[in-house]
Amino acid sequence: MRFTCSLAAAFLVFASTSVALAQSDCSKIVPPSPWGPNDQTGATNRITPAVTKAAAAEIQEGQVVPMSYPLTDGIPLFGTRFTKSILTATSLAPGAAFGENQLTYMEDTWLSQSHVGTHLDGLGHIGRKDCYFNQIPMGKFINQNNMTKLGLEHIKTFATRGVLVDMVKVFKAAGKFKGNSACKRECLDKGTVITGADIQAGLKMYNVTLREGDVLILHTGWGNLFEQFPAQNATYNSGEPGIGKDAAHWLVGQKIVAVGADTWAVEVIPGEDPKEAFIVHNILITDAGIHILENVRTDLMAAEADRTRRATFFFGMTVPKAVGLTGNFVGIEGIR
Amino acid sequence: MLTAVTPPAPPRGRRRFAFAPALLALLAASASVGLTASDALERRYTIAFANLTDEPGVTLEGTGFTGREVRDSFVLAARLLPVDLVLYDNRRDPRTALANAADAIRRKVDLYIQYHHDATTNAEVGVRLHAANIPVLAITFPVPDAPLYTADNRAAGRIAGEALGEFGARAWRNQPLLAIIVGNVGARDDRVPERVQGAVDGLKRQHPAIRVVTVDSQGNPARVGELIGRLVASQPGKKLLIAALDDASALAAKSALEAAGRLSDGAIVSHGADRSIHGGVSERKEIDPSNRGSIVIGSVAFYLDRYGYDVLPLAVRMLRGEPIPPRTVTRHKLITAANVFVEYPPYDMN
Repeated sequence: MRFTCSLAAAFLVFASTSVALAQSDCSKIVPPSPWGPNDQTGATNRITPAVTKAAAAEIQEGQVVPMSYPLTDGIPLFGTRFTKSILTATSLAPGAAFGENQLTYMEDTWLSQSHVGTHLDGLGHIGRKDCYFNQIPMGKFINQNNMTKLGLEHIKTFATRGVLVDMVKVFKAAGKFKGNSACKRECLDKGTVITGADIQAGLKMYNVTLREGDVLILHTGWGNLFEQFPAQNATYNSGEPGIGKDAAHWLVGQKIVAVGADTWAVEVIPGEDPKEAFIVHNILITDAGIHILENVRTDLMAAEADRTRRATFFFGMTVPKAVGLTGNFVGIEGIR
Repeated sequence: MLTAVTPPAPPRGRRRFAFAPALLALLAASASVGLTASDALERRYTIAFANLTDEPGVTLEGTGFTGREVRDSFVLAARLLPVDLVLYDNRRDPRTALANAADAIRRKVDLYIQYHHDATTNAEVGVRLHAANIPVLAITFPVPDAPLYTADNRAAGRIAGEALGEFGARAWRNQPLLAIIVGNVGARDDRVPERVQGAVDGLKRQHPAIRVVTVDSQGNPARVGELIGRLVASQPGKKLLIAALDDASALAAKSALEAAGRLSDGAIVSHGADRSIHGGVSERKEIDPSNRGSIVIGSVAFYLDRYGYDVLPLAVRMLRGEPIPPRTVTRHKLITAANVFVEYPPYDMN
């Protein structure tokens, strides 16, 4: 009897261990990277010296256009997400300065989630089940602090060409513009689906075509609600205009490295199918290693493009070599 | 709201073939202006949707969904279809409903979707639109000779009853059980009695002899707490299988059990699955993956916030001359902590 029980117990232990270690067969869920089975870099592999050199030709006037929003209290965030800094300034107290030269100093403790403000979605941000970019079964590569694969440290430097498409202009030209009264400047309304044809129409407006290694930036006007923080935070977060599945698939075919927008998710919300969750993120990040840039400030570059009839620029973006992070806030400059 | 009405769809069969040279010419012309073949061939339809009411806060069909949510579902669903919507608000008012139909006839819409509770008005709307050669599709309340899309209250009730019955059989075997049905039990216009009957049928599948008590809130969920509290106090030692007829009643019933110190004696299944009972990652509503121990086992989804996704494709099929069934029903499903984020993916993360 005891022997029978032991056998049963052993079977139970074996069965439960099997369940605990069960992994999805990621080869059936996510396509392989075109850069090989060990690739953790994804689409930024396309930023070659030749691509960077060609992009440098966009610097013609030396004008730097900011493309990031300020990261500060009161900007739109969801739920319990936060970004908070604490200033250490003890040496400013009377008598606390150092040496005869009376040196004082200050520094910050920054407590923040990484996907806040203008930020980059890394390759470890989005998966299907436990399968992430390049068929990586991510359940095996995480600990309580970070990821041990697909971290930001693997991304190549963003020194490439940026291309802006003004979706407000596109939708107005097509006679299908529908705005939102909360925007102080023209914006597409939430739920507006941007298709591949819409993007192509926008490229055609400035007589530009996408090339391998580009970063595509979409101006929807929705970012105006971010600029009004905190007054319009709820409206900003309630949805957004953005690309749909058709556009996402078309962009994958263009071999770009990232797509950004003045919205919090780049893709249309509410989505096209109410039973799908952030499907464009899956198409771009999980399947193609293409980064998503959220809350990008686009109005200044859109105005420049409109003024000069040129929608291309040198795209410079700082991504810290933060080991094992899924994303981070970034500084973006468009240089022309 | 209304874009230019396009010419009628090409007829099917032989006559479509006869149009082929014209289509080829159109394709050639469109290619020269950068349009794709699908752009050129796409026939757009102007479809009118006359909502029961757009009034904020007014809930429909004995659920917590509002007319605004129904209307928004049509706007969202139309994005994916060759449809230009004309939106009307029937305001639950027969005269307004007739005026809306008259306006749609003047606009020569391709199809009219009627969502209105008054049978006499619906009959008149049907006659007028038929005379104008405009097909009609009805929601919930029939229009004579028009296809109907509707919730299946009986089926929904059965799902709730079966879920409760199975829970009782699994968790409280050989313990005294009492079934309670609570909500606006007599709301015939909203077909709630069918929901009640379905719930009873479902409960009796596992427990043929179970005693079922109905608690009528008369449409006021604020009364549920008091009524359930009194009933629970009179039933010490009983395990309570509670079919709430709407989500507000479910939450009120749960509070009543909590106040009576009887949470562990109750299990609740609700109807509707509206936003009062589930939500986003940050909202932590009653039905949430992080709240798997709740006595609210689940809520049977009525999907009024997705009516547009079900109804508009039916309308387009009608306009394309394809057959559709005379009655199409909502595919109800029990939403629980285990599947809520699959059925209603949250988007409050970035």
